[in-house]
Amino acid sequence: MYRSKNPYRPIKTEVLDVIKETPTIKTLKLRPEEPISFKTGQFIELTIPGIGEAPFTPSSKPFVTDEMEVTVMKVGKVTEEIHRLKKGDTVGLRGPFGSGYPLDDFKGKEVLVVGGGCGFAPLRSLMYSLFGMSGEFKKLFFRGGCKNPSEFLYKQEIEEWTKREDLNIALTVDTGDETWKRNVGLVTTILDNVEMDYKDGIAIVCGPPIMMKFATKKLLDMGFEEKNLYLSMEKNMSCGIGKCGHCRIGIYYACKDGPVFQYSKIKDFPEIWE
Amino acid sequence: MHYISQNNFFKLLDALKSSYEVYVPIKKGEQRFYKKYIEPTDDIVIGEVRPFEPVKAFFAQAREIVAEGFKDDIPHSSDKPFAIIGVKACDLKGFKVQDHVFKNHDYQDPFYIKNREQNLIISADCTSVIDTCFCLALGIKPHPQEDFDINLSEIKRGFVTTTGSDKGKELLKRYSSLFQEAAKAIINKKELQRAKVIEKVKENIRENKVPREDLYKGIIERNYESDIWPEEAKECVECGACNTICPTCHCFLLYDEKDDKKMERLRIWDSCMVKDFASVAGGANPRPKLWMRLRNRFEKKFDFFPKVADIYACTGCGRCISACPGKIDIRKVLTRLVGNV
Repeated sequence: MYRSKNPYRPIKTEVLDVIKETPTIKTLKLRPEEPISFKTGQFIELTIPGIGEAPFTPSSKPFVTDEMEVTVMKVGKVTEEIHRLKKGDTVGLRGPFGSGYPLDDFKGKEVLVVGGGCGFAPLRSLMYSLFGMSGEFKKLFFRGGCKNPSEFLYKQEIEEWTKREDLNIALTVDTGDETWKRNVGLVTTILDNVEMDYKDGIAIVCGPPIMMKFATKKLLDMGFEEKNLYLSMEKNMSCGIGKCGHCRIGIYYACKDGPVFQYSKIKDFPEIWE
Repeated sequence: MHYISQNNFFKLLDALKSSYEVYVPIKKGEQRFYKKYIEPTDDIVIGEVRPFEPVKAFFAQAREIVAEGFKDDIPHSSDKPFAIIGVKACDLKGFKVQDHVFKNHDYQDPFYIKNREQNLIISADCTSVIDTCFCLALGIKPHPQEDFDINLSEIKRGFVTTTGSDKGKELLKRYSSLFQEAAKAIINKKELQRAKVIEKVKENIRENKVPREDLYKGIIERNYESDIWPEEAKECVECGACNTICPTCHCFLLYDEKDDKKMERLRIWDSCMVKDFASVAGGANPRPKLWMRLRNRFEKKFDFFPKVADIYACTGCGRCISACPGKIDIRKVLTRLVGNV
């Protein structure tokens, strides 16, 4: 729940560090003046003073409240400014907003996480939560894909994940190069070897709309239930509190009812992949 | 029920000025506008029909500062509240939607809440009808029934008054010397006048063949892929007038301004008819075509709000009909949607 007296004011936040992840993606290490606790999957609005704000799902550990990491791809006006930030700069944070992943509902189940490109950012936060609950799931799978090896986010960290015994992981790129020793192809091509109980399993998908669309189709074909598919919807979330009207999906607002939705809840609304 | 003479009514307005910014409807040519009340003038019209601008402007302003720097206070919270005079029933119905968005929600909007609590609404019966009025089709009578503090029914040289809230009752008590008991004959006159106006609206609805709200169920889903949308959107110039003028439209844009001294966050009314309304930074736009945005506007009013708040987000005020440079007529669109079985 949002606790600020004024829901539109940002909390003053210091940029502690800027990490260049790929040519187009940077991660900001942030320290808000007031601690912000969030549930994995919830998002925040990041303010660049005088420029504006944009929504991001933190990519860091949700249980750490004094620092937060946000991974940002350069795509528009605000994100271009974000990419110019340096250590010591001042920004603002509002939130968290939205409902997050219902992690308790995943207990005792087999869980598959499917990520694409910049979708790794929210999923890294989710994976931290899932690793923290290790032993509470029957099986845990990660399937991740990116355009090419140079756009692969958190490469070293994910390399560490491949050594974990509690995780079955496979990675792919759309276009490989000499450094890439793993699968080449769309993320849907590494879903076939996921050995799990599709009927009762949970699948979480986060990535660009086109990837989500095809991954969803594939997962449904594999036998996943619509209600067990959790999708992160990319909409124009602005106020964060269901008032400004920009991020409506059918009878929901992505900002307050999402941005994570069960596919069964939104599948009948038009325009969901656009 | 009480009665207040016109002279005493202006005395009341003069008295209200000490605690409120008082706004009254004035007539200019064929239009009525809200204007700050200074003193009694001939152009003040309390009855007649709704002014050009919707009353929502006094509750969520067209442009307002919602945050200053990183401070958690509510900006301009010490401003004098508004007393808005002569508000019509179609505008009051708009509160049902605005309240749902800004108030009756998990997250409340402190600006709207403050204005709803502090502003004073002295509403008034419609005493005439213009061509675009169709409130009855939406189940709204052309005289206020709720959501006002005091209501005025204009009867020659004065007003029959009804209180609609504790705030209204207190006001009546405080200024009781300006009011008198309403005589039976004058109450009868009021009822007669109301009945006459209702008949005129009914006539309007008949002439323009406006379908009643009980026929609206499912009209959007049923016509989702219909040609009605591209056909009706042909003349749209994407100006957003229909949004700004609508008593129920609530969407807004947040934007930031900064100079050497201060940093401010503002919100301004936004329009879902504008191309990039729902676009994301990555470039995806769920409604790239104008007709999709027109459909979306109707979907929000006649599908979304009935589903989430059990209300149609239209009050039959007809403002969008008079404001549209492309002459898109919501009555005609509704007729087509209902007729397309």
